[in-house]
Amino acid sequence: MVIKMSGRERTHTGFVFYGILIYLFLYVPVILLAAFSFNQSKAATLPFTGLTLHWYQNLFRDYLVIDAFKNSLLVAGVTAVLATAIGTSAAFPLVRSQFRLKETLRVVFLLPMMLPGLLIGVALLIFFSSLLGVSLSLWTVIAGHVVLTTPFVILVVTARLLDFDQRLEWAAADLGANPAQTFRLITLPIIMPGVIAGALFAFTLSLDEFVVTLFTIGSQSTLPMYIFSQVKFGVTPKVNALATLLLLGSITLLFTVFATLTGKGVKSS
Amino acid sequence: MTLHNPTAEPEATRARALGEVVRADEEMAGTTRSNKMLLGFVPISLLLVSFFLVPLIVMVVYSFWQTEGVNVVPKWTLKNYEAFLGWTTYTRVIAKTFAISLGVTALSLLVGYPFAYFLVRHVRKSWQLPLLVLVIIPFWTSYLLRVYAWMGILGRKGLINQALMALGIVQEPLEFLLYNNFSVFVVFLYLYLPFVVITLYATLEKFDFAQVDAAMDLGARPWRAFVEITLPQTKQGIVTAFIFVFIPMLGEYIAPKLVGGTSGTTIAVMIVNLFRGFQIPQGAAVALGIALFIIAVLFALRRYIRIEEMY
Repeated sequence: MVIKMSGRERTHTGFVFYGILIYLFLYVPVILLAAFSFNQSKAATLPFTGLTLHWYQNLFRDYLVIDAFKNSLLVAGVTAVLATAIGTSAAFPLVRSQFRLKETLRVVFLLPMMLPGLLIGVALLIFFSSLLGVSLSLWTVIAGHVVLTTPFVILVVTARLLDFDQRLEWAAADLGANPAQTFRLITLPIIMPGVIAGALFAFTLSLDEFVVTLFTIGSQSTLPMYIFSQVKFGVTPKVNALATLLLLGSITLLFTVFATLTGKGVKSS
Repeated sequence: MTLHNPTAEPEATRARALGEVVRADEEMAGTTRSNKMLLGFVPISLLLVSFFLVPLIVMVVYSFWQTEGVNVVPKWTLKNYEAFLGWTTYTRVIAKTFAISLGVTALSLLVGYPFAYFLVRHVRKSWQLPLLVLVIIPFWTSYLLRVYAWMGILGRKGLINQALMALGIVQEPLEFLLYNNFSVFVVFLYLYLPFVVITLYATLEKFDFAQVDAAMDLGARPWRAFVEITLPQTKQGIVTAFIFVFIPMLGEYIAPKLVGGTSGTTIAVMIVNLFRGFQIPQGAAVALGIALFIIAVLFALRRYIRIEEMY
């Protein structure tokens, strides 16, 4: 049977084929990474010598991993709280007040996001160890991460505030609410999806941050630091196991962000 | 609307008038209110001054000082900036980093454009958003781990070599796959392709394809219609994608460090090595030089930067 395709159909088939190729390029490496975490072979590569959960057990028994994980959670948690508070607070005057230089200020606030993380890390290292003479710790790491992630919170919350109908606040004030009540009962619930999404962004970014951490950390370790030290000289299935768990974690977080931004966003606006 | 007032019209006018009164009140109280609101800038100002601005200023000062042994001494010098003059180890690495970044940016645009076109033109409307999200997901997962994934594919015992050897195509593992410029190129393309696709999708999605149909009705061949109609009108997206791929790539550390080997050294790897070797003023000078270049590029192309659209 001969199937004749018109030129248009042939173009369409070509594009679909190309699209599938790109998706394979994007996903095959990640899928392989996860697949090899279940492989018995020590080399984290082909051939498949049999299924095992050995590397996962190995992982949960390694106190270095557990320690790094705890440190990462602490840093990401504190960073998310601080960056969200600072970013949200800055978003209000950025959207609602009028003054000259507002645009310039906005760009300045977003600058830490545009410059290479390396620059911020290096500058903070000199600042902490040479100028202040403080010893590097998880707190110096947190300082760096807050600088790095606050711009993302500003972006997300600003977007949310721009859609905000301020007449709702005026109505609340007309009905006798004081400014604190208006903020707590009207403003906050409406911008909440933006705030939560911003916090989750900050958390995810901090959890994955490496370069700034490299320069600002003392003797402790975070998960990216641990992974980096393990993979500098090659692949090991234990890292594949850790990677699989982390990928699942960040995909879950990501979907939570999408759900908060789209789901609740539609309802309240 | 209340039942006592059957005509909605006056009610609406009253409400509008009331709104205007309220707004007038707002304006009168405007200065104090506005001043109070500016207090919202206090936390971020404290943050940026203490952990961004002051450290950067200190770094600028350090870049004009000298080292004696492993110590930095406050003696002024321009020597650190001489690294940017002539054909030195520094300028070679800088030139190479620029070449790789430009190359990958061009390649990712070449690969990403047809893909974004595919999403806009060859996928049903209701499928476009899910498919786009599918492109973004890997982009939001761990950066370090995405680089690591390629070490397992390109390495000496990696997937490609194992497969080629099992099929009997090669007897010895291919060495050129990992730890050189080639692997840096592949991994960079992998890391930045989602960025390009999102930006180009946003632009192509707004483009009115009826213009292309019109051109073709008037006898233009598809390729010519693309070059003369579609391409110029999607320039905005192309430049934005260029900025968001080329600029961050200049400061990349992890990918070149992990898959670049000794020949894949880039600016960031060099800066870290300088700091490790206690050449702090020299490292600071190189880092600042790059930062200034980046700020200059961002400033020159500022009207193409639509950060809001990215997230």
